[in-house]
Amino acid sequence: MLVSAKIFPLVSKHGTEDSVKWLNEKIDKIIEQKSGRDLFLTYSQLATKFDVETKGTFDLQLADGSIFERAATALEISRMYLLVKVLDEDTIFFQSKVATIIEIADTGELVTFLKFIYLLPQAELFKNTAVEALRTNIAEVFDAITLNNPYPATYFNDQQWNQMYLKAAFMERDLSMIVSIDTRANKELTRIISDYAHERWAATRKIDPLFWRPVTKFLNETLLADMMQLLASDDIFENRAGALCCFNSNNAEAEKLLEAYPLLKEKIIANELTWNTLKN
Amino acid sequence: MEDKLMFIDPHVHMTSRTTDDYEAMAAAGVVAIIEPSFWLGQPRTQVGSFQDYYSSLVGWEPFRASQFGIKHYCTIGLNSKEANNEALSEQVMELLPLYLYKENVVAIGEIGYDDQTPAEDKYFRMQLDMARELDMTVQVHTPHRDKKAGTIKSMEVCLEHGLDPSNVIIDHNNEETVKEVLDRGFIAAFTIYPKTKMGNERMVEVVRKFGSTNIIVDSSADWGVSDPLAVPKTASLMLKKGIAREDVIKTCYQNALDAFGKNGKMKETHWLKPTGVDQSQFFQDNSVLRGQAPRVDKDQIL
Repeated sequence: MLVSAKIFPLVSKHGTEDSVKWLNEKIDKIIEQKSGRDLFLTYSQLATKFDVETKGTFDLQLADGSIFERAATALEISRMYLLVKVLDEDTIFFQSKVATIIEIADTGELVTFLKFIYLLPQAELFKNTAVEALRTNIAEVFDAITLNNPYPATYFNDQQWNQMYLKAAFMERDLSMIVSIDTRANKELTRIISDYAHERWAATRKIDPLFWRPVTKFLNETLLADMMQLLASDDIFENRAGALCCFNSNNAEAEKLLEAYPLLKEKIIANELTWNTLKN
Repeated sequence: MEDKLMFIDPHVHMTSRTTDDYEAMAAAGVVAIIEPSFWLGQPRTQVGSFQDYYSSLVGWEPFRASQFGIKHYCTIGLNSKEANNEALSEQVMELLPLYLYKENVVAIGEIGYDDQTPAEDKYFRMQLDMARELDMTVQVHTPHRDKKAGTIKSMEVCLEHGLDPSNVIIDHNNEETVKEVLDRGFIAAFTIYPKTKMGNERMVEVVRKFGSTNIIVDSSADWGVSDPLAVPKTASLMLKKGIAREDVIKTCYQNALDAFGKNGKMKETHWLKPTGVDQSQFFQDNSVLRGQAPRVDKDQIL
């Protein structure tokens, strides 16, 4: 079943009967005539047909069995339906047209596209847009691709992933909202994390304790020293971060370090302390 | 500003201004602004330059304004000066429809005449047709030279193309043009310029003489000598000179909201029920709200 066919019931659910009818007619024409111009106009006019204040949920089961679920407005659902639908019908013809729409997007449109980019057929074709969004200074655009989004973990290479992770920390975003942190951890990222931490410590500035999570499986000499510093810190959250890294590291030396902090270790074993509960 | 009035500056080119200006405007009570697309002092030679400029008006600049708690809207159009490059104008005309429905676009503007050339006339008329087709408000720039004739011609062409005059804002008026504009049912905006042209002392007298209906005050502050606080300063001077508070509110806030709010994009709730200046939206390398807020305690436009 095509993704657009799965989205359509959501369009019907969140839009008025007239708007849905209007959209279907437009789509038929766009596809039949292969008209980029009509696609642009229809996309533009969605803002007048579907309400940006009608809140709903984008929830559907993807081909791989996973559930995709994110809050969305009626306007967001209609925009994504239109883009997914034309790409489902003819990716080769409409890919460049969709790229143009994204190129001239306003902030709200870009945020929508990035939040739901994972749903596009051949979503990898739009990776440049996703990576470009990492360079923005507009927080909501950065958040759209970075937080609660399966796209980066699926499509970014290590360099892109690391760029995203470091910038998210630098911008003080909520790191717990990044998807697949453990699976995308890599050696180069752990070096970056340690360097960044040293830089912050030198400036006597704090680091989000969640920032340390990806180093877990890569504890070398430098990072073991960092772990010692975390465990000995006055900050209880840093202690917890150090303990979680050491506990999960499969590294004998790290496990030995943790022996000196039995209370933390007990809490981890009892599942009372996890990366999700660290800040509670 | 002891009265704590709210102001709208419906014509200000923030792209050319600094964060100091945003800070001072917010402190002076400016809650919303409209940034007309215009020329940047040097003519563009590529359609991509227009595209990126329009994109910044619907992307980066609203974000920048939001950092200071100011709601940013814009008008999109091909300005008269650059309309004289016909080859380029053709491409820009194709681009315009893609921007007119963006979330902060409230009108087509600023369009009109500069030197009143045939090319200016051609693209002004094409954009008026577009406005009629899409039922959009129009913001008209009137020429600095041969102003009165140019202003009258602008209005006649609008009527010729079937536009409702109450949906057209004629900008950069002075004492010589205002009567013609109001008599024809158009909305008259006044740009308060420092030093030359329309100063705010004169603006007070215009309101005293013509009242507050269909009259709007703006700054048109840009990359030249100009004052982004022209609206709050003029309001303050009006109050001091005995203009009724309700007339000050109409000319410096309400009339702009009524005129540009017609397509439903500009809403008072945007600033009356703000989500707040969200500190989490600030990036560390971009955190701009540190300095002391400049105060506005002079009514004089320098």
